[in-house]
Amino acid sequence: MIPWEGFAIKTIFVQGPVPGLRLFLVILVSAALIAADAHFDRLSPMRSAISTGLAPVHWLGNAPYRFSDWFSGLFVTRGDLEEENEELKTRLLILERRALKYAALAAENNELRHLLNSSETLDDRVVVSEVVGVSPDPFSHEIIINKGESDGVTVGQAILDAEGLMGQVIQTSQFTSRVLLVSDSSHAVPVEVVRNGLRAVLLGTGQSNELDLVHVPDTADIREGDMLVSSGLGGRFPRGYPVAEVSSITKEAGEPFVSIKASPEARLSQSRLVLVVFQRQEESVPDAIDSPATGEVN
Amino acid sequence: MLSVISYPVFLVSVVLSLVLSISLFPAGWFEFRPEWLGLVVFYWTFRAPAQFGVLMAWCLGLLLDVLEATPLGVNAMAMAMVAFLVLTIHQRLRMYPLPQQCLVVFLLLGVSQMLVHFIKQFLGADNPGFSYLWPALTSAILWPLVSSILDRINHKLG
Repeated sequence: MIPWEGFAIKTIFVQGPVPGLRLFLVILVSAALIAADAHFDRLSPMRSAISTGLAPVHWLGNAPYRFSDWFSGLFVTRGDLEEENEELKTRLLILERRALKYAALAAENNELRHLLNSSETLDDRVVVSEVVGVSPDPFSHEIIINKGESDGVTVGQAILDAEGLMGQVIQTSQFTSRVLLVSDSSHAVPVEVVRNGLRAVLLGTGQSNELDLVHVPDTADIREGDMLVSSGLGGRFPRGYPVAEVSSITKEAGEPFVSIKASPEARLSQSRLVLVVFQRQEESVPDAIDSPATGEVN
Repeated sequence: MLSVISYPVFLVSVVLSLVLSISLFPAGWFEFRPEWLGLVVFYWTFRAPAQFGVLMAWCLGLLLDVLEATPLGVNAMAMAMVAFLVLTIHQRLRMYPLPQQCLVVFLLLGVSQMLVHFIKQFLGADNPGFSYLWPALTSAILWPLVSSILDRINHKLG
């Protein structure tokens, strides 16, 4: 035992300086990578490639949830299923009635827009996707969804759930994408108040149940309970999706702006199914530019 | 005992730690999620300092960077740092009783977490106070369990 230990110590003393040199090199490489990634955004292909390679890890990470879903599905009684079925049918009826009304309204709206000579707004195409992971970093609000480049997802697309806007795609790999939620402290959405069209910017705070509406002047007409919808002004989010509801307004004397808190409409930390929005504006905008031009030629 | 490394066990432990670092933790308790990959790097550098070193740790850290969507290189650098510190003290570490080993795990993973958060704040992230040290603490508490399980499997197969 003792000579063996002595031998080991010797070899390690011989190897001594090597880890130090390696660490130095590795730190240099890391610093270069961090700079290239954070400041120049040059490494997305590399990140995307590694991420594609890590798809099995994502898949395994999601496996327990899928298993528990499947497992809880095994022990549903017939009565529960019938009850749920009944409930869904009722809900379907209500929604169908609403959809009928909306179809009529949408047609009328399009006609009016047509009369106003503006571009026809088409319905956005959506793709249903499943949340397969959340960011392991507790200080960032991100989720991973199971649609990626192979499904045509690109960076910047808006993500919705059944209740409202959830966030936007910030990274894509072959089969998964990473979504920054509206509650992340680095996220902002341009919104407007439904009631009167007042525009403002909604910032994430890092808490999943609270958002900040900033730069709203003291005299602005805004009340608790006002619905905030995306205004589409940044060009990133489609217009008119509900984002949050104003929950509290505090006016502080001497401050130029009121501090307004809003609670997100989307169930940011609960939804398992989300919608990826494919905007068709790319196609409709050139049309809008073309038509007056052709009009002039004629 | 000195340099036991069974590559299948190594691979499985790495994949498992990557999976655990994105999954299987109750929501709302994310702050306390142990630094699984840090523990694995610590274990393998400690048990097999000749085969597992700074470069390997750096590569694993890079994978964690991709999973966590941190700027590439942040976790990589931290993991390389952990491996380097373990390499410098692994002979003394072998002589330490288990509680003292836990303390070292806490210190090294704490240092790596500090490095990660220092760089993140440098790049403009929020300052979360000292709560980022929780993973180091939970990892230190889990160290006896992790090392004994890995030891047992490693001895059977290595």
